[in-house]
Formats: sequence, C-alpha cells, structure tokens
Amino acid sequence: MPKEIRQIAIYGKGGIGKSTTTQNLTAGLVERGKKVMVVGCDPKADSTRLLLGGLAQKTVLDTLREAGEDIDLDDILKEGFKGTRCVESGGPEPGVGCAGRGIITSIGLLERLGAYTDDLDYVFYDVLGDVVCGGFAMPIREGKAKEIYIVASGEMMALYAANNISKGIARYAKQGGVRLGGIICNSRNVDREIDLVRAFAEELGTQLIHFVPRDNEVQRAEIRKKTVIEHKPECNQADEYRELARKIEENKKFVIPKPLTQERLEEILLEYGLLDALEDNYSI
Amino acid sequence: MANENKKKKSSTIVHPRVGCAIGAAYTVAAIPGGVPIANCGPGCVDKQYFGLSFNNGYQGSGIAGGGDMPSVNFGENEVVFGGTKKLDDLIQSSLKIVKGDLFVVLTGCSGELIGDNVGAVVKKYQDQGYNVVYADTAGFKGNNLKGHEIVVEAIIDQFVGEYKGRKRKKLINLWFEVPYFNTNWRGDYIELKRILEGAGFEVNVLFGPQSKGISEWKNIPKAAFNLVVSPWVGLKTAKYLEKKYNQPYLHIPVIPVGEEATSAFIRKVVEFAGIDNTKAEAFIAQEAHEYYYFLEHFSDFFAEYWFGLPSRFATVGDSAYNLALTKFLADQIGLQPVKQIITDEPPEKYRDAIADEYHNLSEGVDVDVEFIEDGYLAEQSLRQADFGGSVPLILGSTWEGDVAREIKGLLLEVGTPVSEELVINRSYIGYHGALTLLERIYTATVDGK
Repeated sequence: MPKEIRQIAIYGKGGIGKSTTTQNLTAGLVERGKKVMVVGCDPKADSTRLLLGGLAQKTVLDTLREAGEDIDLDDILKEGFKGTRCVESGGPEPGVGCAGRGIITSIGLLERLGAYTDDLDYVFYDVLGDVVCGGFAMPIREGKAKEIYIVASGEMMALYAANNISKGIARYAKQGGVRLGGIICNSRNVDREIDLVRAFAEELGTQLIHFVPRDNEVQRAEIRKKTVIEHKPECNQADEYRELARKIEENKKFVIPKPLTQERLEEILLEYGLLDALEDNYSI
Repeated sequence: MANENKKKKSSTIVHPRVGCAIGAAYTVAAIPGGVPIANCGPGCVDKQYFGLSFNNGYQGSGIAGGGDMPSVNFGENEVVFGGTKKLDDLIQSSLKIVKGDLFVVLTGCSGELIGDNVGAVVKKYQDQGYNVVYADTAGFKGNNLKGHEIVVEAIIDQFVGEYKGRKRKKLINLWFEVPYFNTNWRGDYIELKRILEGAGFEVNVLFGPQSKGISEWKNIPKAAFNLVVSPWVGLKTAKYLEKKYNQPYLHIPVIPVGEEATSAFIRKVVEFAGIDNTKAEAFIAQEAHEYYYFLEHFSDFFAEYWFGLPSRFATVGDSAYNLALTKFLADQIGLQPVKQIITDEPPEKYRDAIADEYHNLSEGVDVDVEFIEDGYLAEQSLRQADFGGSVPLILGSTWEGDVAREIKGLLLEVGTPVSEELVINRSYIGYHGALTLLERIYTATVDGK
C-alpha cells in the first residue's frame, strides 16, 4: 500500500510567523530525511523565501497569466534547501480580482500537473491570515490537507484569530477528515505566555504542540534569506525547530476543535492576566 | 393578507418564469440605438435571450441583442486577476464596431462578486464624451424585473443627467411593461401611446418601435409627470425621478383592458395632469363607439354558442398581465376567476396592495391571489383549481401546457415563456387589444382541437 502524503495546512493571524515557522519546520523535517513540498498560499508570495534563498520563484498565477494554460511543472516548482520543493500560488495585484479563487485555481493546476508525487512525505500549505472565504479554506477541503496547525502567541489578537480559524476547521471537519493537530506558540515574550496558550489549546480540545521561544537568530537568518537550521545549525533555536519537527512527526493527537465563545475567550485572557485592570499594574 | 398566500419555498425552482437581473440587457436592446455590453460569463446573456425573447414569442433581438451582443466572456483569468482590462478593450472595440447611440455595460455575478471597479473603466469613456453607462446587474440581485429598474436608473443617473429647466405640461414619461419580458410589450406600448396621444398627451415611451431613442431619454426631465402603469415594476423609478427632477408620479396598478377600464384610465390621467378634457372625451367617444360596434357583433356568438364556452378561468404569470387580464375577464366578460398565481416575485412591500386589487375586481368578485415563484408549486396549485363543469380556461405560459392537457383545458399563452405562439405586434390591452384577446380566447374554444 503506498504511503499517504501528510498534507498539512498552517494557519494563524497575519504577521504571527507562519511562513518563518513553516520553513524552519520544513528544514527540520528535511534534516530527518523527509521529502517536503511547501505551497505558499498567500498573494504576497513570501512563503518559500528562506528555503529558496530569496524570492527566486515565479508564482503559479503569474505564470498562468503570462503563459496561459500551457505550463510545465518546472515553470512553477523550484527546488530549495536540500531538495525541498517550493511553489508559490501568488495572486492578483492588490485590490483587484479574487485571491481566494486564485488559490483554488493554482492548487487545481498543481494537481493537474502532477506535483503530488508518491515520494513526498509532507506537503505544507502556508495560508495567509485567516479563513476569510472559501478560497482560503481550499487547502483544508476534502482530499487536501488533513492536518492543521495554528501558529499563535500569547497576544490577544493572535488568540482571537486562532479561535476564529478553529470555527472554519470545525465546519470543514464535519464534512471531511480535516483535524487540528495543535497550536504552535511562536513566542512574543508576553507574561505567562506558555500557560495562557496551553490553557487556550486545552480549552479548544487540542494541545500546545511546541513553544518556540523568541530568539534573534531567526531575524539574523531571515536577513540572510535562510532558515535558522541552514544559517546556524548549532544554535539553540535550530534545536527548537528540530524539536517541533520531531513532535509533528510523532503527533497522534488530531481533534475537531471546539471553538470558544467570545465570553469564554475573554475569561481565559483575564485569568492569565492579559486583560488586567489598570490598578493591578500599579500593585507591582 | 398576501403573506398567508405565499407558498413555502424550497431552495430551488423549476420551470422559471423570469430571467435574472442581467436579463435587463433586453431593456437596453429595446431602446432604439441602445447597445448592451455584457460583462459576464459566456452563456449568461445568451440564456436570457432564449428565456426572454426566443422562447417568448420569438421576438427577435434588433441590432445588438441575441448573438450580436458584445460580451466580455468572463473566464477564470478574469475572476482571479480582475476583468476590467478585458472590459476596457471590449468597450473600445464596441464603440468602433457597433453603430449605437447608448452603450450600457451590464455586470453579472462574477464581476460583482470579485468587486471589479467597472465604474472606473466606464468613467474614462464618459469623460471623453461617449454615451456609456454601467449597471450592476448580478443575477444574485434578483430577477430581470429588478434588473430592469437597476438599468433604467443607471441610464437616468449617468446619461440623462441633471436638468433644472421647465417642464412640459402635456409630456408624460411612461413606465409600463418590461420590454421582451412582457411578450406583447411592443403591441401594448403602441396601443397605450395611441390612447394617451388620443387624449391629448405627448408620451416618452422610451422603448420599442415608436421611441425616438436617446433624444427621448434626454427629454425625461422635461415631462410634467411619470405615469406608472404596472402593479409594481417602475414604481421605484418613479420615486427616484420624483426626488431627482421634482416630478410627481401617477400610479395606476391595473393596465386598462377594454372600453370601461381604458376610458376610466384616460379620465384619471387627464384629471391628474389637469389638462383640458375636450380632446380626451372626443377620443373616448370615438373609441367607445368602435369598441361596442365590435362587441355587439361578438355578443351574438357569446350569447348563442353553447358548446364548450369556459365560465371559470385561472391566470398564472407576472403581476402586470395577471392583474390586468383577471380584471378584464372578471369585470367585463363575466368569467369567474378561480386561481390567480403571480410568479414574478414582487417585493414584499408591494404584495398587500397587489392582493387588495384582487379583492376589488368587480362587484361581488373577489379572489385570493397566490405568490408562487416555483413552477412545480404553481402547477400543483393550478391543478387544484375548481373549474366546475365548464371547460377550464388558463391564461399562463408554456409551462402550464402539461396541466392544461391533464385537465383538458384551454391554454392561452400570455406570458414568459411563450414557445407555442409567435408574437410580432400583438396587444391585449386598451381598446384594440381587448378585442384581440377576445378573439384569441374564443378562437381557442371554437377551433375544436
């Protein structure tokens, strides 16, 4: 029986570090000998920059716009760090057309061109911001990604977004096999962050799969257009991503999330001190 | 109450009796010199052509309808990247190739869903002095009747423009049947124009063979008032014009059919306009004389012919014709209305008023009208009508054919879709049209088929 490709979608609030996390995680998996394809599902097309050493990639939609339907896989798929396959869906110019439909179109094209080969172990979809419409939910529809990880931090808006994304997942989970694999905390150094995100994850019915500490090595590597693992393989942060890769590799806990009500979400935030009243600050 | 008569709707309908909003391309095509530009997927407007013109009396399409309509043919590329570039090219080419006076871009579902800025594209041409207008007519906005109002308003807003000058006391803007959708619209416009002119008015008919095209549209603000002869379509336009040009409007929901109704109609309009009625009364006298000459001869048949004359009737169709024909047959011919189904989905706010008209058809004649859009439910309801022992008479569309055959009734196709009759300039309204309608109904009863 041929092995099943683990297709994984990464969601999370805009700017939370989805692309950085996905690429570093990919580097960790590649080090473990896995074959990975990363599909950027963001019109900004910056999901594979660290694996490719720059924005070297023409997007699927740009290629489609210029060359029409007559496209080869080589035109849109480039190999990056240690043979990682990189695709950027791309999108229309800001303010015109329909980016959501663009994602549907480009994933459809990838399938037609045979990008999903049997030798792949993982396919990652790095999806922009939120599940705003059907297009951005495309990667989690039937037959695509069955696992989802949400990148969040201890910041309030990141958790709001994560909760909202969970609503989208719960909807699609009812129709198909998509499940939430956990929350990846990309730390912002907020007080009691790990406790808060863990409590939030448990309330959703899932787990805090890994807490990635904040480390400037990430920024240093990004400036050099590299993942941390490639840039400074021996540093602590590289080990954190290796640990994340291991946990995802071994993860068995997949759930249909139970999104929190607005009230409950705010209660949790209050419990962990994020919504502290002003006078509490004076008591420190 | 009208609401109680509304059948429970399923999420789908069969046997549609309307087009979608972009069917208003045929509102544009009905203006002499009007050229619709379809900004939608391939097939959208073609389907409207078959629904509103071809399988609706085989009305044809003029210079820029049917297969001759410029179309963007919105495809996947346009959805993803936006369709304005292709539209821009198409407008440019259409202005070069198609001989027209007024170009109206109608945007369908795809363009509206992705939020294409069509206004910005069209404005470029408007600024250069071209007569180009755009209308947002996505099918999800509703049926072609709503589309008709959207297009009319867009033309007034973007083409007719501001006017502060004097009004002409005898000039009327006529807001009447929806071109192409009302199968007999051309003949009916001719008859109503004849009637209003006979009474001493000048009429901006705006659509059809007697319209002067865009010069007439430019004259809209000069009219003394707007005359809406329809249960609901056109009211929105009249209210818009009231605000825009400070023009009052007269709403007559029942299209007049037959001498009594038409003469009363004329008197009402003359009174509203406050013009001298001498000409109108002379016209009425002459028309009544002719009308009753024919009716007298018809009455020989009506009184003496004993075989298979209908005594009860049903109407299934749009509110305008449904109400007009029901009123005429109930009030003037003495037939009993037993099932009246309105299929054009009038907005909720108009329904009670429309239903009230059916309670006031004639002395002692009263019927509960039903509002049903779905053909399956409409036909089911029609099947349950009690026609008594007489031959069932149904005034409906081609879709009523099955039920008519089942109950061995006479079917007269009077509204969308009409695929078993060909219509050129036929009218069923006013003085002349009423006689034609009688001819048609009673020909059906004597032809023995």
